[in-house]
Amino acid sequence: MGELLTEFPATVVLDRYDEIREALFNPNLSRTFDSRSYAEGNIRDGVVSISHGPVHRARRRIENTQFRPDVLRLYERDLFPTVLDGLLDVLIDAPTVDIFPVAELLSVVLAARRAGIDVDDSDLDQLRELVHYVDVFSQGSAILDAKDPEAVRQMVYEGYDAFERDWVRPSWDRRADLIERHRRGKIGDEDLPHDILAVLLVHRDDPKLELDDTGRVVREVATYLQGGTHTSAQTLVNALDLIFDQPAAGELVQRCAGDLLFSQRVIHETLRLRPTTPRIRRRAEADTVVAGRAVPRNGLVILDAIAGNRDAGLFGPNPESFDPERSVDPSVARWGLSFGAGAHQCPGRSVGGGFPIPADGHADEEHIYGLVALELRAVCARGVQPDPAGQPERDTRTERFTRWAHYPVRFERWHDPA
Amino acid sequence: MTLEHDLAGGAHVGVDVLVDPDLCIGSGDCVRLVPGAFQIDEDQGVSVPQDGAATADIDLLVRAAQGCPTQAIRVVRDGAVLHASN
Repeated sequence: MGELLTEFPATVVLDRYDEIREALFNPNLSRTFDSRSYAEGNIRDGVVSISHGPVHRARRRIENTQFRPDVLRLYERDLFPTVLDGLLDVLIDAPTVDIFPVAELLSVVLAARRAGIDVDDSDLDQLRELVHYVDVFSQGSAILDAKDPEAVRQMVYEGYDAFERDWVRPSWDRRADLIERHRRGKIGDEDLPHDILAVLLVHRDDPKLELDDTGRVVREVATYLQGGTHTSAQTLVNALDLIFDQPAAGELVQRCAGDLLFSQRVIHETLRLRPTTPRIRRRAEADTVVAGRAVPRNGLVILDAIAGNRDAGLFGPNPESFDPERSVDPSVARWGLSFGAGAHQCPGRSVGGGFPIPADGHADEEHIYGLVALELRAVCARGVQPDPAGQPERDTRTERFTRWAHYPVRFERWHDPA
Repeated sequence: MTLEHDLAGGAHVGVDVLVDPDLCIGSGDCVRLVPGAFQIDEDQGVSVPQDGAATADIDLLVRAAQGCPTQAIRVVRDGAVLHASN
C-alpha cells in the first residue's frame, strides 16, 4: 500500500535560476508525492506528469510524436485561425465580455483535438462541458496547493467517471475501430487519427507504458486536455492584465494587433513573470545533492520559479518589470523556467508559446508563434481594453496567484448578433 | 557516431556525438537546434545523431547536449565530455 507524503525529513528551497535548473535536471528528483493507487486516493495515479524514470520516458517517447513541428504548423496555420475567428465572432457579442471563459473556450478546441476527444468545434454547449472538466482536472493537478484537498479529490473522482463515460469512451471506440482496420490493412496511415488517445491505444500493449489499467488512459487524456487548455487560457488573461497595467497600454494593444512576433514576445514575458506553477515541488527518490546541498531520500525540494525568473544576471536590470523587448541571451529561454526543464519540461510548450524568438529578431517561414500569441493578436485586433465597470477576480480556490476566475474587458469592435 | 574528419574539411577531429536511446524521450529539441546533426527515429521515438554533426557548430552541439531534457546527449572530444553540467 502506498502513501501520501506530507512530512519530509528535510526541506530545501532554491530560488536562483541556475540552482532551480540544476534541480529540474536532477534524475533523482521526482514529482511523485503520492504512491497510493487510484482507489486508495491518488487521483493522478499513473499520469505522465507525475510518473518517473523508465515509465515516464517510454510514455513521453510516444506522446512527443504529437508535438512535432509539422503538426504544430498544421494546427497554427491551418486549423486554429479559422476556429479562432469563428469562435470570437460568436463569443464577443457585446461590448463587455468576461475574457477568461472566452480564453478557455478558444483553447479547449485544439486541446481536445490533440488529446483525442472528439468534439463539435461549433457547439458551444459541448465546448463548455469540456471546459467544466478542464476546471475540475486543473484543481486536481494543483491539489498540493488546494485549500480543501479532500473536496478536490472527491470532485475529481466524480469528474473522471463522467468524463470517461461521456467523452473518452465514444472517442476510444472510434479509434479502436480505426486501429483494428489499420492493422488488417483496410485503411492507411493517413486515416488514423493523430492524437494522444490514438497513440496510447496503438502502443497500449507495450508493458513499459504501464497502461493496462483503463483508468490510466482516461487520466492521461484528461491531463493533456487540461494542460492544453488551462495554461493557455490563464496566460492570455495574464498577458492582458500585464498590458493593461502599463502606462502605454493602448499602444501595446495596437502593436500586438499588428505584429505577431511582438505578441509572442508579450506571451513569453508574461510566462516569465506569471508562471503557471509559481512554486515547483520535487521529492528526492534517493539521497542526492542539489546545488551543493545534500537532500536525503524523501526530502522536499521547493523551487521558487518567481524568484528564478527574475534573475537580473540573465534577464537584465529591472527583471520584475514587464518588458517584452528585454535583451536575453539566446541560450536562455525568455519564459524563464515557466515550462519547467529537464525530463518533465512541458511537452506542449511549443504549442502554447511557440519556438524561441530568433536571436536576430526576424521570424522565418519555419517559425512557430504559439497559439496564445495568435489569441492575443486576435483579441487586440478587436480593440480589447479594461472594463472600467468590472473587477477582475482571481481564483481563490488555490494559493497560485497566477490563476484567474473572471476578467471583464471591453471591446471597441464586437459582433452584434442582432 | 564518431566524427574523425579532417578539420580542414570543416569537421571536428575526434568528436563523438552520442545519444543514449534509453534516456532519450524524443523531445526533438536537439533537432530544432541543430537540424543536420540529429533526427528523430519515429519508430523508436528517439533522436539519432546524423552525419551533419560532423560539420555542425560545436557550440550548438554543446547547447543541444546541455538542453537535452534527459541529458541523453554527450559531445565528447579526445575522451573529454564538452559539457560538464546543464
